[in-house]
Amino acid sequence: MHRRTVIKNLALIIGGAALLPACMQEKGKASIALKNVEISADQEKLIGDMAETIIPKTNTPGAKDLNLHLFVLKMLDDCYKKADQQAFISGMAQFTDAVKKKYDNSFAGLSVKQREEMLLSIEKDKDPKSISISAELKTFYGIVKGQTVNGYTNSRYFMTKRVIYELVPGRYNAHFPYKQKQAV
Amino acid sequence: MSANTYDAIVIGSGISGGWAAKELTQKGLKTIMLERGRDIKHIKDYVNANKDPWEFPHRGGRTQKMIEDYPVLKRDYPLNEVNLDYWASDKDSPYTETKRFDWFRGYHVGGRSLMWGRQSYRWADVDFEANLKDGIAVDWPIRYKDVAPWYSYAEKFAGISGNKDGLAILPDGDFMPPMDMNVVEKDVAKRLKEYYKDLRPMIIGRTANITVPHNDRTNCQYRNKCWLGCPFGAYFSTQSATLPAAMATGNLTVRPWSIVTKILYDKDTKKAKGVEVLDAETNQTYEYFAKVVFLNASTINSAWVLMNSATDVWDGGLGSSSGELGHNLMDHHLGVGASGRMEGYEDKYYFGRRANGFYIPRFANLGNDKRDFIRGFGYQGGASREGWSRDIAELNIGGQFKDALTEPGSWQLGMGGFGETLPYHDNKVTLDKTRKDKWGLPVVAIDAELKENELKMRIAIEKDAREILEAAGAKDVQTHSSNPYLGRGIHEMGTARMGRDPKTSVLNEWNQVWDAKNVFVTDGSCMTSAACQNPSLTYMALTARAADYAVKALKKNEI
Repeated sequence: MHRRTVIKNLALIIGGAALLPACMQEKGKASIALKNVEISADQEKLIGDMAETIIPKTNTPGAKDLNLHLFVLKMLDDCYKKADQQAFISGMAQFTDAVKKKYDNSFAGLSVKQREEMLLSIEKDKDPKSISISAELKTFYGIVKGQTVNGYTNSRYFMTKRVIYELVPGRYNAHFPYKQKQAV
Repeated sequence: MSANTYDAIVIGSGISGGWAAKELTQKGLKTIMLERGRDIKHIKDYVNANKDPWEFPHRGGRTQKMIEDYPVLKRDYPLNEVNLDYWASDKDSPYTETKRFDWFRGYHVGGRSLMWGRQSYRWADVDFEANLKDGIAVDWPIRYKDVAPWYSYAEKFAGISGNKDGLAILPDGDFMPPMDMNVVEKDVAKRLKEYYKDLRPMIIGRTANITVPHNDRTNCQYRNKCWLGCPFGAYFSTQSATLPAAMATGNLTVRPWSIVTKILYDKDTKKAKGVEVLDAETNQTYEYFAKVVFLNASTINSAWVLMNSATDVWDGGLGSSSGELGHNLMDHHLGVGASGRMEGYEDKYYFGRRANGFYIPRFANLGNDKRDFIRGFGYQGGASREGWSRDIAELNIGGQFKDALTEPGSWQLGMGGFGETLPYHDNKVTLDKTRKDKWGLPVVAIDAELKENELKMRIAIEKDAREILEAAGAKDVQTHSSNPYLGRGIHEMGTARMGRDPKTSVLNEWNQVWDAKNVFVTDGSCMTSAACQNPSLTYMALTARAADYAVKALKKNEI
């Protein structure tokens, strides 16, 4: 290979490295690369706070520790139809407005109790024609909740530390005794 | 002998092709196995088999890109992130649906033996006699006694685990020890026995997962990741079982990327002399020659190969003189069943992931059980405890909710029917010469539908499922019935049926094409009727039987 070509190639490699997302994260953009939806850093934080309300840190790790909000965004970006992605974005705006209207504050500014109250008000509204909580808002919340839980129960942490998952069980015990840990 | 000349050619490398290759090579025939797709090496190429669930970026789900790329596969469970590479590309290999037909294909060495459901049941005489008794289609040219020794032969080599239940409708086989039912399933089986007095027994599934070490294969490790390819070789596949046995003879050559475009027919000898192959990578055409050809390209593609062959003699292709080639396409219809909640057993669970369930063999139209349709259906199901997706009352979010997710929910009992589809002459595949695939080859057009008998049966499957679950003590029983289309059973059968008369069938009692006696078709296309049992074990038995006959006939210079 000619020396000049080597240098050119090297420059390309170095140039490429400089474009890695972590080094060049645009201010105000989400921390992971998304192809189909535009999510701002503030919105990412909102989803993180919501995920943390659903799966909070207790004496065991919570949503933020496990980056579940990033999993929510990844799934939103890759696995949902355009219409659902659009509903997610408008639902998110409506959610922000609803929080503002109800508490005169941002979601980030609410106490844990208020955050729970806000999310439960959406959970409890089962009326598909509800005026206060629109279909878009429900889609938005549904995706955040569903994928937070999906991400949690399929996380390495959950599957190795909270339940016993073995890649190779090696046996089938059809009479495995079980003691409920808490009343559910 | 030129480089392209062998004793035998096997077209296809799936369940029946692998068996043909094993039998022919073990009997001393130099054999080439032609596979249209890529090679997949045992263990080494099972790229996702040892991944943990969290290593899949979408945790096994499907992306919009996948949905776009696989317009057919997306219709049912096969489209997923974990074994996407094992399913044929709908875009490269399109087909025409005159009526909706969900065709899920595996184009690679091993074919669908890598992804199959592994349930393995013998047929009984009632199945082989059914067409004759009902006066429909044509009679099978064979009976249970003709196949029984070959079932044993196939079971012993493949490794089928199961219980000897002593049921007339579902003959016992040469089984390895059965897998276990869990506590709820055991109780349910007992209740059904009391309630139905042995008329609707529930048994553990008979499955091609080995429960004791067998040849070079390790027994099942209860991973339930079979369809990724098993690093232990614990389920029967071409790669785990027939291919290594065939390779060990030193008589087998495997050629991937080999699309057989036609069987070369010699008008003078009235026999096949070989096949024409299109190399799927280079688009070059080759010819291979042999004394005997086994066609195992899967039901619809085997019909396609025959339709493209000997067209200078018969417009409709090799085997079309009866007018039945491509006709009588069958499948098992499914997607109908029920589920319910079993109260109690909170202190009971199971450990390990059993890739098997229970089976309730056919009971309809047997003895005093008379219906407004003919034939019958079986159920497959299981009892398990619900996971996180259940509704946890009043605990929708927060710390307690998080902890509750680690607890198993209540026991659920569910099952779905597999119904027999009748052979209808007008359920058929034809060539669509107006449309080409990626290689410029004409595609098939599929024109098949469920008819009155199947639709009536589906109503019964739903009704009986509720009745059985309620008899078993299930609460809140819900039934379901969806997508009454053919194909989704992935049990295509019947496009080149066996029969007793060359005027009404494509193959004779030894799976020989009536019009070319050295061409044997032993995949699902040979089936004269469909019964309701999973069919692959029958293909294995028929293939071994036909190969045995073929080699004897060769030695006697009869073919």
